[in-house]
Amino acid sequence: MSSLVGFLSLVFAIGINFYLFLSRYIFKFQKQKFNLFIRSASLLTLLSFFSLMYAYVVSDFSNYNVFQNSHSNKPLIYKISGTWGNHEGSMLLWLSILSIFSFFFSFTKNIDESFQRLTLIIQSLLHILFGLFIVFTSNPFLVNSILVNEGLGLNPILQDPGLAVHPPILYGGYVGYSIVFSIAIAGLFQNTDDEWLYVAKKWSLISWTFLTGGIALGSYWAYYELGWGGWWFWDPVENISLMPWIAGLALVHSLMMVRGEQAIKKWIVFLSILCFSLSVFGTFLVRSGILTSVHSFAADASRGIFILLIFFIVTGFGFLVFLLKEPKKSNALNLLFINKVSALVINNILMIIATLTILLGTIYPIIIEVLYNKRISVGGPYFNSTVIPIMIPGFLLMSIAPILSWQTNKMNNSKKYVLAFIILSVLVLIQSYFLDFNTWGFVGLLLGFWIILASMIAIFSSYKIKINIKFFKIINPHVAHIGVGIAIVGITCSSVFQNELDFNLSEGDKFNVNGKTVLFEKIETTNQINFQSLRGRFLFDIEKNQSKEIEAGKNYYPVSKMITSEAGILHQWNKDIYFILGDQKNNEWFVKVLINPFVSFIWLGVIIMIYSGLIAVTRR
Amino acid sequence: MNRIIILTPLIILLIICIFSLTYLLSGKDPNKPPSALLNKNVPSFESTSLYDKKEIIRTTDIINRKTLINFFASWCSPCKIEHPLFFEIGKKYPELYLLGFNHKDTNSDAKKYLEDDGNPYDFVGVDSDGLIALEFGVFGLPETYLINEEGKIIYKFMGPITIDILKNEIEPLL
Repeated sequence: MSSLVGFLSLVFAIGINFYLFLSRYIFKFQKQKFNLFIRSASLLTLLSFFSLMYAYVVSDFSNYNVFQNSHSNKPLIYKISGTWGNHEGSMLLWLSILSIFSFFFSFTKNIDESFQRLTLIIQSLLHILFGLFIVFTSNPFLVNSILVNEGLGLNPILQDPGLAVHPPILYGGYVGYSIVFSIAIAGLFQNTDDEWLYVAKKWSLISWTFLTGGIALGSYWAYYELGWGGWWFWDPVENISLMPWIAGLALVHSLMMVRGEQAIKKWIVFLSILCFSLSVFGTFLVRSGILTSVHSFAADASRGIFILLIFFIVTGFGFLVFLLKEPKKSNALNLLFINKVSALVINNILMIIATLTILLGTIYPIIIEVLYNKRISVGGPYFNSTVIPIMIPGFLLMSIAPILSWQTNKMNNSKKYVLAFIILSVLVLIQSYFLDFNTWGFVGLLLGFWIILASMIAIFSSYKIKINIKFFKIINPHVAHIGVGIAIVGITCSSVFQNELDFNLSEGDKFNVNGKTVLFEKIETTNQINFQSLRGRFLFDIEKNQSKEIEAGKNYYPVSKMITSEAGILHQWNKDIYFILGDQKNNEWFVKVLINPFVSFIWLGVIIMIYSGLIAVTRR
Repeated sequence: MNRIIILTPLIILLIICIFSLTYLLSGKDPNKPPSALLNKNVPSFESTSLYDKKEIIRTTDIINRKTLINFFASWCSPCKIEHPLFFEIGKKYPELYLLGFNHKDTNSDAKKYLEDDGNPYDFVGVDSDGLIALEFGVFGLPETYLINEEGKIIYKFMGPITIDILKNEIEPLL
């Protein structure tokens, strides 16, 4: 029953959107009626999504999708997240988020009415494309042809609270760029005043903040669930989320500095189209199964071709409009040797080069396989040695960009900065000398601390410190950059200064980690609702009274016959001690211990960036 | 000049789409990497017959005739599924040399398996330690290789072959 409701409401929503699209050419109607239609189409899409969720919650195995991906023994949260833990449901989530964005955009005030309408019509078109994709190739409402009492279960690796919320938040970013795309296209068609730029800024900030949160959640999940001790693997799926993120960053910054310069406006339109194109391209790569990763569900060539077609239409349409209706040229940019505009232009160029470099590395294996029928993989070494050097000058510029002037080459308090930079360099050099000297470690730490320090100096020397909301809004760009600096310190330390220790241990053995004695107490096996768990219990620092307990092990999921590893992590503010329980051999267990310094700084930096994103949304 | 810059995204889009489409249409499965040995010489091997230890087959024995090499084992259930197809191939193409490699198996189990299901092979080589399979880059059983008269691997298939695969992919090469 719920499947029927879900399917019908989805079809109706597509129908209404089609009607709205035609309304531009055939039936004209008033604003109220238009808004009513667009909102009801959005609500119908949501109804469709919630009917599917309902089928999951009540374990309605007459729905084929529920039967394939759920199990009645699963905890409620994973029944809910099972809705998007599969290809069909996740595409429906995609469409629902698109609808939510259209819904809220229809409430935007203070913009030209026909412009708003055109934007929403482009959204309707996107809805139709993806809606048809779901109905024809990925219908989650198919009826199960056999009568069953039990389902096949959700991929155990996805049964994790962090990952339950990761897709909706990530999609908030990906799909959020649809509205930025629609705004930019509508802006090209109408060529009205610059009011749309402010609207676009708000929406692109929202999308970027969601994307940041989504990527961070996925990365954090990989850190504690995959049990490799790392948090970023340059996996193709990570790369395709990073591309719109960097392009989106360039977009947000360009929108910040737009002052009616036509050249910048053109660039903004280009970036808006690019961000959403990269999002759709990412959807294509993941959903077509063209790449192997934890994200690719059952692959099906017809799906891949359909979504490739959508990618081609959307991106082709976007760039074609851009080509034909490019914004008028007028006054040139106020480029000086070093002012805000030139710093930003350089940073934008660097970000685009970085994006293209990642794009090349991601699609290179596909090109090679088509041309030479050979399988190659492009991994960490390529990306580390290309993307990071490209970004470094950008980070350097970033630290001083907020204090540069718009009109002149002058830099306020430049002496203070030079002095601070020299002192900092000496300090970091001394620190590196006493630890093992490592070039990347030195560069990373210097950059990270320099960004933090320069932003601090800027805050303290340029503004009067007050504790009120207005003040936090003014210093927000600096706060965002402090977040980046903290994250860079964390990234550098955790990757360059990571330490790995291997042990073969029996129960009751004591061993030494980082100068502290650790006791391998015992191995425990227990039966949970939907899995069996095997845990090694470790007591860290047993010489102290308050020794810390760490559990590392594996889970066995009998329904899907899969084993997942569960790392045991002792979080300290300055390091994570990461325990991985390996296999047993002759009564001895293989135990790997990783010491990851300052990992918490990465997450702290990301949280600050998200906070800044949210503050920036409220600021006009 | 300006025009060219604006055209670049469209050109890149076109290139990406063409390659992706070719990839999708070629029916490639990302889980099954193409063999690095395709169009290369067959690796050198030497193996004794399952039935007679004195009978030996070497790489040089299969040159100058088309050969189909199949890796199988009695413990491999997908092998059982494709097994009857080799009789058909043998009947239809009597000049094709059918060489089976019995992979990581015991001689008695292998003999029993070929007794129960029949023996379609012209020669059954023993690969009890899996070294020959290693040379061929066998990923998992069963796997089938087609070798031309010059001793080059011209086709490889992972998993049990089906009638469709036989008709559409193997027969055109015979």
